[in-house]
Amino acid sequence: MDFAWSDEQQAFRQKLRDFLADNLPDDWEKFSEHGPASPALTAFAREFCGKLAENGMLFPHWPKELGGEGLGPWEQQILAEEMWSAGEPRGGQYMNVNWIGPTLDRYGTPEQKAQYLKPITDGATLWCQGFSEPDAGSDLASLRTRAELVDSNYVINGQKIWTSYAGLADTCFLLTRTSDDRKKGITILLVPMDTPGITVRQIPSLVGEGDIHEVFFDDVTVPEGARFGEEGQAWEIIAYSLRNERLGVPRFSLARAALDRAVAMLQERGEFSGEIVRAEAARCAAACDASQIACYALVQKRVDGEQIGAESSSARYAVVQCERAVCEFVIEYVPEALAGASPYLKMHHQRGIVAGVASGAAEIQLNIIASDVLELPREPR
Amino acid sequence: MELALNEDQTQILDFIDSLAKPYASVPMHDVSYALTSDDLDNELAENGFLDVMSVEELGPVTAALVVEKLARLPFALESAASALVRSLIDPDLPRPLCLVEEGRLNRPVRFLRPGASVVVVGPSGVRSFTASEELIAPPQEDTLYAYPVAFLTGLPDALTSHDIAAEEVQRAWRVALAAETAGLLGAALESLTTYLSERKQFGRPLATFQALRHRLAETQVLTNGVYWMALKAAGTGDPADAALAALHAQDAAKRVGYDYHQLMGGMGMTLEHPMHLWTYRLKLLTAELGGRGSQALAAADAIWG
Ligand SMILES: Cc1cc2nc3c(=O)[nH]c(=O)nc-3n(C[C@H](O)[C@H](O)[C@H](O)COP(=O)(O)OP(=O)(O)OC[C@H]3O[C@@H](n4cnc5c(N)ncnc54)[C@H](O)[C@@H]3O)c2cc1C
Repeated sequence: MDFAWSDEQQAFRQKLRDFLADNLPDDWEKFSEHGPASPALTAFAREFCGKLAENGMLFPHWPKELGGEGLGPWEQQILAEEMWSAGEPRGGQYMNVNWIGPTLDRYGTPEQKAQYLKPITDGATLWCQGFSEPDAGSDLASLRTRAELVDSNYVINGQKIWTSYAGLADTCFLLTRTSDDRKKGITILLVPMDTPGITVRQIPSLVGEGDIHEVFFDDVTVPEGARFGEEGQAWEIIAYSLRNERLGVPRFSLARAALDRAVAMLQERGEFSGEIVRAEAARCAAACDASQIACYALVQKRVDGEQIGAESSSARYAVVQCERAVCEFVIEYVPEALAGASPYLKMHHQRGIVAGVASGAAEIQLNIIASDVLELPREPR
Repeated sequence: MELALNEDQTQILDFIDSLAKPYASVPMHDVSYALTSDDLDNELAENGFLDVMSVEELGPVTAALVVEKLARLPFALESAASALVRSLIDPDLPRPLCLVEEGRLNRPVRFLRPGASVVVVGPSGVRSFTASEELIAPPQEDTLYAYPVAFLTGLPDALTSHDIAAEEVQRAWRVALAAETAGLLGAALESLTTYLSERKQFGRPLATFQALRHRLAETQVLTNGVYWMALKAAGTGDPADAALAALHAQDAAKRVGYDYHQLMGGMGMTLEHPMHLWTYRLKLLTAELGGRGSQALAAADAIWG
């Protein structure tokens, strides 16, 4: 075991930092308040991701033949940490890197790969994830958006909700119901968002402009070739995707950077000498460290080519604890931060409060830990 | 960054497993507060398991792994201080090694007995002496803490000074505390998981009730965090990492100390079930090095100055 970064890894991190310093605008912190799904940031991200791609930093961990640099999972982690703690200048394109790209590569048909992978590795396209529905949140398998095969076309009717980036996305990774056989009746369709019959409505939220949406599907028609995997294979495929997604966002990096920022503000005005505030800050730092190292243990599994299983829920839950601790610390000790005094801390807060809900609620992670890490006998259904 | 066990580490942990096999459960009908075994202690020491830290290709992470593993046993062993602190002070100090804080000499001292090396750490530096009968108040046979403990009645006139900063010993001590806590937490969780999976009420195993499942799952997350933070702190040698690991460890210990007995109902109040062997050790460890508040302040000092 070795807890130090190699020289190459440190150099890679520095290269990313230099790139960020050179390519983020001077007013970036204020600008990033717009939120990752806002029109302003989405437009910025298209340009920024294009530049990352040109410099081999959009998919550095992918093999060369797929447009990457052939680096490994640790570099992927370093990349995610640097981007996320800078306020995620890739906007919604981070999803391409974390799970949409890998999932397309693993399960796509040659035609789908040819159509979708290049825009992704060029940093030129935005996706959205159409999973949740009004009556299918944690109980995702109860989703009802229907897709019917009619003359080699799928006709889609139903509604999605909470869909991030839907307003500006090019394509939707959509879960539909093709039969009533619960998990086995769910099928993925790749749906261009400009297909007639799709209506997107923004939901005003605490988490920043343009982030979450309702998406309505009224007789939306796509060719059979839009089906991703087989009919009924969605559950298997998204299990793979979600494992990648859960590990994908290194929230602890931004949380820790936000904590340091809050402490610096307190130090500046001479309010960081009391034992209570110091101890509380340390407890936040411990929560950040605990979640970081739990995630690193999973990255190691990736390096070793091992499957990541339910431990990802354990790491996820640790991450939720760290976000919660830091969000609460900031409000208790630097309340003015969310009222204009620190765009960075406000940005962190808006990202941080969703940690326990987005991509699977915290309590669901506890259920998974209980059943699959601790292997407790299952709850009766 | 490389977080997989290397071959040496896997081998050492396997050796310990086979060596400790006869000690993996509580002997039938034994209802002692503190289980100890001189035989096991001797075997571990003779085989060099407590000296791995100073072996170059093994080092402190391996030592922390050894301590974590040994802390899982129902038998109390003085391993943490010996394996993770002793070689910094003087590798030849006779065991058991008792670390005490200057200014807090009235605390119960784990493993204190005549012949033990007592190391006093604090503003006056790092000083040691060999404990003799007259400096020890009679050992407390009926302590609840599941460690053999005794009290110091005072310090001898002459102590040996060691050429190492108190802060460095405190750092290593925090790593030792975290590594031992990680093992205790792991063993206690495993034991509780088994109990709740088997014990039925209302016609089903208690472990099927979500109110209990979530509490167990949350402590799994904490236990995992303490394990990795202890190893990381051992690996980096960084005072901030050590303080954060010890802080997280003591926080977790405090949390489970209540829950684990509560979730076993009446059985949790008995000596028949071994749970107390881990939880009462954890409880005493929450008092070490000034408790959670002190670790938190030490971490804040190390991180933010
Ligand atoms: C900012 C944000 C962005 C999002 N982006 C997307 C997106 O792009 N695409 C998408 O498809 N979805 C997205 N989501 C939706 C997200 O995945 C869901 O919100 C999440 O799965 C929870 O579902 P829900 O909101 O319906 O809550 P519910 O399922 O109604 O849960 C409410 C509460 O009940 C608890 N609960 C539910 N079931 C159980 C149980 N069995 N045991 C114990 N407790 C339980 C939950 O933990 C939670 O605390 C996003 C959500 C947010 C907040």
